[in-house]
Amino acid sequence: MKVSLEWLKDFVPLPESADVLAAALTDGGTEVIGQEERGNIPDKVVVAQILSSEQHPNADRLSVCRVEDGSGQPRQIVCGAKNYKVGDKVPLALPGAVLGKDFKIKAGKLRGVVSDGMMCSAKELGLAEDAEGLLILPPDAPVGHLLGELFQPDTVLELEVTPNRPDLLSIQGIAREVATLTHAKFHVPTISDPTIAPAGERVQLRDGGCPFYSARLIRGVRIAPSPPWLAARLTAVGLRPINNVVDITNYVLLEMGQPLHAFDYGKLEGGIVVRSARDGEKMQALDGSDLTLRAYDLVIADGVKPVALAGVVGGVATSVTEITTDILLESAWFEPTRVRRTAREFGLQTDSSYRFERRVNPAGVLAASARAVELILQVAGGDAENQTLVAGVAPEDAREVFLDNDRCRQLLGMEIANDEISAILERLGLVASDSGLWIVPPFRPDLTREVDLIEEVIRVAGIQRVPSRLRAFPASSGIADRRHDRAEILREKLRGQGFSEARNSHFVSAESLNRAGVEAAQAMTIRNPLGAEQALLRPTLQAGLLAALAHNVRHGTSSVRLFEMGPTFTKEGERVALGIITTGAVTKDTWKTASELTDFYDLKGVVEAVFGTMAVTPSSDAGLSACLESSLTHGILQRVPREVAVFYDAKTPVFYAEVLLDRWLEAEPGVVRVKPLAKFPSVERDLAVVLPTSIPFVEIEHSLQAAKAAHLQEIFLKDVYRDASGEKLDAALRSLTITLTFREATRTLTADEVDCAVATLRDHVKTELGATFRE
Amino acid sequence: MREELISLREEALRDIAAVTNTPAFERVRIAYIGRAGRLTQAGEKMRHVPKDDRPEIGKLLHEVRQVITGALESRAAELRAAMEAAELSGVDPTLPGVAFAAGYLHPLQMLQKQVVEIFRRMGFALAEGPGIETEWHCFDALNTPPDHPARNEQDTFYLPDGRLLRTHTSTVQIRTMETQAPPVRIIAPGAAYRRDEVDATHLAQFTQIEGLYVDEDVTLGDLKGTLEYFFRELFGADTRVRFRPHFFPFTEPSYELDVRAAALGGGERWLELAGCGMVDPAVFERVSERRGDDAYDSRRVRGFAFGFGLERLAMILFGVPDIRMFVENDQRFLSQFSR
Repeated sequence: MKVSLEWLKDFVPLPESADVLAAALTDGGTEVIGQEERGNIPDKVVVAQILSSEQHPNADRLSVCRVEDGSGQPRQIVCGAKNYKVGDKVPLALPGAVLGKDFKIKAGKLRGVVSDGMMCSAKELGLAEDAEGLLILPPDAPVGHLLGELFQPDTVLELEVTPNRPDLLSIQGIAREVATLTHAKFHVPTISDPTIAPAGERVQLRDGGCPFYSARLIRGVRIAPSPPWLAARLTAVGLRPINNVVDITNYVLLEMGQPLHAFDYGKLEGGIVVRSARDGEKMQALDGSDLTLRAYDLVIADGVKPVALAGVVGGVATSVTEITTDILLESAWFEPTRVRRTAREFGLQTDSSYRFERRVNPAGVLAASARAVELILQVAGGDAENQTLVAGVAPEDAREVFLDNDRCRQLLGMEIANDEISAILERLGLVASDSGLWIVPPFRPDLTREVDLIEEVIRVAGIQRVPSRLRAFPASSGIADRRHDRAEILREKLRGQGFSEARNSHFVSAESLNRAGVEAAQAMTIRNPLGAEQALLRPTLQAGLLAALAHNVRHGTSSVRLFEMGPTFTKEGERVALGIITTGAVTKDTWKTASELTDFYDLKGVVEAVFGTMAVTPSSDAGLSACLESSLTHGILQRVPREVAVFYDAKTPVFYAEVLLDRWLEAEPGVVRVKPLAKFPSVERDLAVVLPTSIPFVEIEHSLQAAKAAHLQEIFLKDVYRDASGEKLDAALRSLTITLTFREATRTLTADEVDCAVATLRDHVKTELGATFRE
Repeated sequence: MREELISLREEALRDIAAVTNTPAFERVRIAYIGRAGRLTQAGEKMRHVPKDDRPEIGKLLHEVRQVITGALESRAAELRAAMEAAELSGVDPTLPGVAFAAGYLHPLQMLQKQVVEIFRRMGFALAEGPGIETEWHCFDALNTPPDHPARNEQDTFYLPDGRLLRTHTSTVQIRTMETQAPPVRIIAPGAAYRRDEVDATHLAQFTQIEGLYVDEDVTLGDLKGTLEYFFRELFGADTRVRFRPHFFPFTEPSYELDVRAAALGGGERWLELAGCGMVDPAVFERVSERRGDDAYDSRRVRGFAFGFGLERLAMILFGVPDIRMFVENDQRFLSQFSR
């Protein structure tokens, strides 16, 4: 909402500086988000009169004008505008004038023809944001005088009006607010309500969406451009002047917040009918768009056709044009929800719909009509019918709200006297009724409950008066605290393993899932996605982490180590997962050590370092992939298949692990019970077990454990030896050097005892798996 | 015996002097003073020395032993020194140190943790809620009317079954109050989703931190004190906080919170960082209907709530020019957030 301070001054005296006003409004809850100076006309811009205009000899779009600038010596100006006629008075920037920041006007030639200055538009003079053609000045503007004498400088504030304050969508409403916030006096010229008469057949209301409608007929108006004062005020706040009658309806909309519409009475066929549209009915809107209406759209129709989309936009068929002489002025009240729905369906947010959607003051409908009639007669002439025709009844918006001043003080946590509370509410236009009850004026539909009044009290009194209080009470931690803390532990552990934390979008595309080798059918779909790229919710973290890996590889990072912890979405629900991805060197090469390429066992080691040992079941799928399982979590560990990895530009093998975390995060963290430290030394023996490569290590380990050898404390795989050439060892075999640790808590073991235990182990593995041994 | 001891001494000193490395030194040491070493054996021969000669030979033996052990010790010291000198030759202490490089936590995660820690110091507990929500939890319970613009398909993501992706973490307020009676003091970080076209300052999914405090005597003064403390802890003692009246459906009075601090680039500019207010009684009414009890009777309990976007905060604090950098996962970006 843009507000001209000159306009505002019609209704309230303003503080000395615009900054003070802006601060008061912002502190009062209406943020000032922009401030512009308007109408500071540069020097050397004068009123000139166009004496003649001829086609430019070398340019189709230009004209050569002779103008009188008050010196008596006609001046030749080349001009591109078309909106003037000979005899018009226009602003002329003389050589030496500076427009805008640094546009200096110089005498010179344009396409070979001398141009001794420039005729200006309102935009070029900083009078409007947007204006086409020359600014045509009133006929009585004195030729040769500085233009600055004709225009008053103005400041325009741009306000962000919150949706609960429809009363601030007008100059008068803002003026009332300013008066309240700055302790100034608000004055509105009293307009006597017009004489009203029942419209009878001339206006029929056939839909609850319009409970109240008024129409006033004015005959014999002369449609013309608006006078400068009117055009200036509209342009100052960003509206483009159209013609005097339409401009007045817009002017009153801005000033009083009541949207109005003027129909060309001559084009109406029969009386006004407010009804719902017939499905498929057509109407061309003022902006030229062809609308196909639906049954829930509320329309203003004549006896034959819809002539306006109620509260949103008028129709072309009955619009006011240069040849209009008789107009019917509509001022009505429409249901906010109906207007909102229609405006949204058609994507038409107009100054009118914006206000109706937020609820127009029903008590102001007739006053706005009267004000508009008064102004139309003033600027366009004509005769108004004596009576305003009305149909229906305006909704009754006045109400009483109870306020307990003690509760007000309790909620705010501050002392404020009863008298001050009352004074604030009275300044806001509320009237004290019976004990604690307040009558709310109809322009404040947002005030319906006690808390709404408390809000008003502190809004006006200012929150800076509330003493800050800081209290802390112990909080017992719940499951969410545990989840948070355990997640932090995981993050720190992964960080310690050299992994950095990634965060990916929860949205994915079916394509990205397919590319990553993830089944897309299980993914949850969004009904109204922003695009196919974001049509699904991620069922796993894999696609995002692969994309992150690709991003890093493409930017020259050869070693990628990333993890992500976050929600995944499947038909079974939302589950927190941990994904870990890695490729390239384990660490950076240094001058001291060359790093190795990461492999499956590195990532497995990372997973085990974080979660402890997990059961690993090799997957039957081709490639290298395994299922991970522990009592609190399960997941997968894989080498990403090459045909997948190439999509992501990986130059080295990519490894990926993902586990589900919820149970782990919620698990009771166990309490550590310290074991006694060994007092007697352990004994280690190496055993080199030779077995076919096809027998997994885990079977050997199980077999050793199953032997139940005495004193065996630890089984540790120290070396894996294979010989592809088959020279030293059959190529189908491998030799696993396993370090066995024996210990007894109460004494030192003898060599015989250990030998005996090793023999037990050897025999067991030999019998069970057919192992041989290398010495 | 005398001659034997003297020649033993001479030979030992020669051998010790000739030693140039540790294994050779060990061999020489064992050859002379080991269990079966020549000096040890010479000592055993003392038994056969005539009684009269014993004091003199004994004295000599003692001297020889002292000379040999002394020579061994000094030779050992020389060898250690030589070894150390050899090890250290060419060592350049200015070469870079070598360590296993730890990874980096995501900047949003670090900031989130910091935020959570500050609120925990004030006795707030963590809370969570699902990202896929019902319309009731996201809008109705939070006093957002059925035709409110935020609810339409232009602004909110819906699932085919009518559920939606929460547009704010305020849903966690409702989730918490449904299951927990007052007093409630929670802090709830989480993802929120809005149908914004992605650009330098918008993501369709972002992170919010929500807070709620409900008890019998909570006041607007508590809201002020709590958030002022929070922002001073986060940005430093020079931080200034401004509460600007605003409108939200689920709080009344409502405020937008502006902050100025040297940590945020100083300047004279107020930065809008959070929304907050006193819980609207309508929210308590919805919760009470759902609970079927009067634990949240608005005549008895009051509360405040607040929420802010983590990405915006992080962008200002860390000088991140484009919000998309937070989801690009460029290791060159992440590795700047060391601590």
